[in-house]
Amino acid sequence: MAGSRRPVVVGGNRTPFARAGGAYAHVSNLDLLTAALDGLVARFGLAGERLGEVAAGAVLKHTRDFNLTREAVLGSALSNETPAYDVQMACATGMETIASIADKIRLGRLDVGVAGGVDSASDAPIVVTEQLRAALLDLNRAKTVQAKLAAVAKIRPSHLAPVAPDVAEPRTGLSMGEHQALTTAAWGISREEQDELALASHQRLAAAYDAGFFDDLVTPYRRLVRDANLRPDTSMEKLGALAPVFGKRLDTPATMTAGNSTPLTDGASTVLLADQSWAAERGLPALAEVVDLEAGAVDFVHGKDGLLLAPVHAVPRLLARHGMSLADFEIVEIHEAFAATVLATLKAWEDPDFCRDRLGRDGPLGSIDRARLNVHGSSLAAGHPFAATGGRIVATAAKELASRGSGARGLVSVCAAGGQGVVAILEAV
Amino acid sequence: MSGAAHGASHPGRAVHGDGPVIELGSVPSLGASQRRGLAGSAAAAATRRRDVAADALDGTTLLAQGLTTDPDRLTAYQHLVGAPAQDRLPAGFVHVLAFPLANALMVRDGFPLPLLGLVHLANEVTQQRPVVLGEEVDVAVHAERLTAHHRGVSVDVVAEVGVAGEPVWRGVSTYLAKGYRLDGATADRAERPEWHAPQPTGAWRLEADLGRRYAAVSGDRNPIHTSTLAAKAFGFPRTIAHGMYTAARALAHLDEPDAFTWRAEFAAPIVLPSTVSVRAGTDGPARVLDAWAKRHQLHVTVTPRG
Repeated sequence: MAGSRRPVVVGGNRTPFARAGGAYAHVSNLDLLTAALDGLVARFGLAGERLGEVAAGAVLKHTRDFNLTREAVLGSALSNETPAYDVQMACATGMETIASIADKIRLGRLDVGVAGGVDSASDAPIVVTEQLRAALLDLNRAKTVQAKLAAVAKIRPSHLAPVAPDVAEPRTGLSMGEHQALTTAAWGISREEQDELALASHQRLAAAYDAGFFDDLVTPYRRLVRDANLRPDTSMEKLGALAPVFGKRLDTPATMTAGNSTPLTDGASTVLLADQSWAAERGLPALAEVVDLEAGAVDFVHGKDGLLLAPVHAVPRLLARHGMSLADFEIVEIHEAFAATVLATLKAWEDPDFCRDRLGRDGPLGSIDRARLNVHGSSLAAGHPFAATGGRIVATAAKELASRGSGARGLVSVCAAGGQGVVAILEAV
Repeated sequence: MSGAAHGASHPGRAVHGDGPVIELGSVPSLGASQRRGLAGSAAAAATRRRDVAADALDGTTLLAQGLTTDPDRLTAYQHLVGAPAQDRLPAGFVHVLAFPLANALMVRDGFPLPLLGLVHLANEVTQQRPVVLGEEVDVAVHAERLTAHHRGVSVDVVAEVGVAGEPVWRGVSTYLAKGYRLDGATADRAERPEWHAPQPTGAWRLEADLGRRYAAVSGDRNPIHTSTLAAKAFGFPRTIAHGMYTAARALAHLDEPDAFTWRAEFAAPIVLPSTVSVRAGTDGPARVLDAWAKRHQLHVTVTPRG
């Protein structure tokens, strides 16, 4: 009876997000993911339970963490007989784990599973130079003293400098911020628009915390109770005083600052997904159904689209599959990688020429009322531990939809490095 | 140390005897205690008085209130013993919090046994509920049960930990002073059942610097764990692992419950570096871990409660 199965969001749990080098400076990806998972287990009384599967991942990952998610399960209160696997799709990792678990539930392969993600810029793997790595591998293979000496002799002092992980796109050499600066310029997005979006994000996230909205979505960790990046008292004046950091080499004004770009962040999120009947049998909530998801990718390498605009293409495809329009959604969540990412996405959907030429539509896809957009703030305020963002957004959106009543729909859009993205439709049960 | 006070409030502490209660204004420095212990032990060795009266314990309780935990120290401890870095303090970390008081008690004038050279025979902890990062704990420590042993005299050092008046954790560390006699008597050697190594479920690779690393997170810098020279002076070929490190690693390996009794018997010291075989399993309701190389070294049981 696969047709009657409905994967629903039962709930979520995440750590507060810390700024890199802050409260979580000495804890690892594994620690953070285990903490988020254990909080979820505690919240829904799952200690000792064997769940169908746990899927999670991290973007910045040590080689020793090849089985990160399975290790988190083994360290958690879940039964050690719960299978787990790692997923990696850059910043869309969390969304892809939700797709994977939800699809398996719909297929009938699982009744219940956990999706999630974690990232720690504080626990980033440091890599040695390519020359030192080659010499060390030669040394390891060398059998004779002579061969060992020869391998060591190849090492130069300059090879010893550690190499920090790079956030630049391998094929363009541009950082994500510089890529977004190109998109920001192409769509003519002003500094003021970006700062307004950032301000709304902080104000809405702070209001949600003050109202207790996150009480059953966030578990304090390492003395951190709220997202450390949140600035409830920020203002247009304060945001306006920040110096631009991206796009300074373009011939258009540089508008992207540390205030309207997300900072490097540490944190983990988890989402409990189950077939609706599994949740009902246990008396657990069913906040929203995971209706469907769509992945997208763009050719940013040749400048055809902006690096972070894959969702611009994925959303219309997803809507078409369900005969829906933007007007069918009570809330829309667009991940704030940069304020300008969200604004460029909205402008693209409102632009008749772009929608005709690139999306093959007769007219604009439509516009989104700001009152429906990122209603409890998003990554600009909360921070963005890459793989943890999908779980944060889906759990937040599902809870908000449940409060709006059966049938309320939400659209979720998360862009990712490599010119990719994953978008989703949620619907209150 | 600040003033002695009979009848001071000491939340979480069971009443035992009528000895003096000494409330410490701050947690005593372990380094100072251990240096003092070294001097005291040297003096004891010089006087060669090896007889201990059965009533030699004066019933003193040391008390410290409002102890807090540094999150980074907790993380370092959890990483070293292989426990998940939760906000729940591992029961072994609570032992670490109480240890400076236990140490201060054992270096006081009038404590009948020398600190240095004491052998940790066994440790038993009963936890009602986990202490959580951010909670202030109160610790009370006393000694009891001077007992004749075939190799000397043993004593139980008891630490009781409470949170806001609620008793949450009680630890009993049994130490042996070799070569001492209780009221001039020694006990007969207890019959130990022969132990046969089972099939292992794993192995622990314990590196040469483990003693120094555990000393850094626990504060227990007893030189038999950190200095080869000192270890040799006490008859070991090299440094030995802290018993409480191995007990804590076993507790983490067995998945620490919330409420439980955790008993560790240190059958023989583990000389570093060493790879020991381990077997984890169950015995009725108890989770059990044994560790051994050539001979049996560690037996740990964790029995969940309630």
